[in-house]
Amino acid sequence: MTYPDPDDPVAPARPGVRPFLQSGPQQPSSGGYTPTGEQPPVETQANSFLRPFVITSGRTDGGDPDIGMETQVTMVHGAPPSRLSPETRAIVSLCEDSPISVAEISARLRLHLGVCRILVGDLRAAGQLDVHVLDNDTPDPETIMRVIRGLRSIS
Amino acid sequence: MDFDPSANRVVGSARVQGSAPKKAPVPVKIIVAGGFGVGKTTTVGAISEISPLTTEAEMTSESVGIDNPGQATMKTGTTVAMDFGVLTIDQTLKLYIFGTPGQTRFAFMWDDLVKGALGALVVVDTNRIDDCYPAVDYFERAGLPFVVGINTFNGQMNYSVDEVRWALAVREDVPVISFDARFRASVRDALLIVLDQALDKAIRMKS
Repeated sequence: MTYPDPDDPVAPARPGVRPFLQSGPQQPSSGGYTPTGEQPPVETQANSFLRPFVITSGRTDGGDPDIGMETQVTMVHGAPPSRLSPETRAIVSLCEDSPISVAEISARLRLHLGVCRILVGDLRAAGQLDVHVLDNDTPDPETIMRVIRGLRSIS
Repeated sequence: MDFDPSANRVVGSARVQGSAPKKAPVPVKIIVAGGFGVGKTTTVGAISEISPLTTEAEMTSESVGIDNPGQATMKTGTTVAMDFGVLTIDQTLKLYIFGTPGQTRFAFMWDDLVKGALGALVVVDTNRIDDCYPAVDYFERAGLPFVVGINTFNGQMNYSVDEVRWALAVREDVPVISFDARFRASVRDALLIVLDQALDKAIRMKS
């Protein structure tokens, strides 16, 4: 791990997930303690982007190369219940209604793209999500023609 | 939901929703690249059906190496923001438009980005033409069809299209056009030229 914490006497209950770190340290300039919910948006944002890979247990390269930013993700209905971290639960519920791209999940949950890809890969392996990987990487002429026709029709 | 699975545990193969299986649309993407503040986000916002979303990608130490070898390793906190928008072509086809920073040191991200992309629009501000060089270099190397689009802020251009083409020294078959990032129709036309290039390449690849 990048950030060992030898002073921490108690190991976290769930291995690798240390949610208390996500709020980050209080800003010195904030003038004492303020509850997380009352922090100014700018600070919240700065904090939430601190050390994002904590929630992936430090993995930064475990992402499935097939999972692209635009890859569509759907929820597996009737998947066996399993214990999910707050982040993964949020991802699953975003995918509940209609297919959504990995980039949209990342943006809506304010999760780093890299983190998001790893977690989506985890959820796929756990059978909670369907990840719709395309068969062919290179776009075919027929699809491009459809995009052209679609674009032409907007004004 | 029209179908509520009973509480009984179902053993066996994966269950498929019977009545209306939801098929995920096929996503395609176009990259909008260029230097800082040339109008990438404006371009994305003009064509997207949702207001542009922002996603952050973290730059990790593995990716930094080439750029600043002197720095102590560690994971730098550098976050790259990417704006993107969506355009639903039809029920089965969705066009994503990703705006990406053009600096060389973010090139690591482009490899992910250009994989499977139809093509790219390189946005140029004639006040700072050289900002777009890394993007042009990258797309030439990657073999991705691209179009150079000069963003005419208020119809103002310091250099003509020909002068920009000369400065960029792009291949003859790379279109250099002018467009206005604020107007949907203008962005649409620019993207259509990108798609023309993409179609040419796709047909060439097939035959």
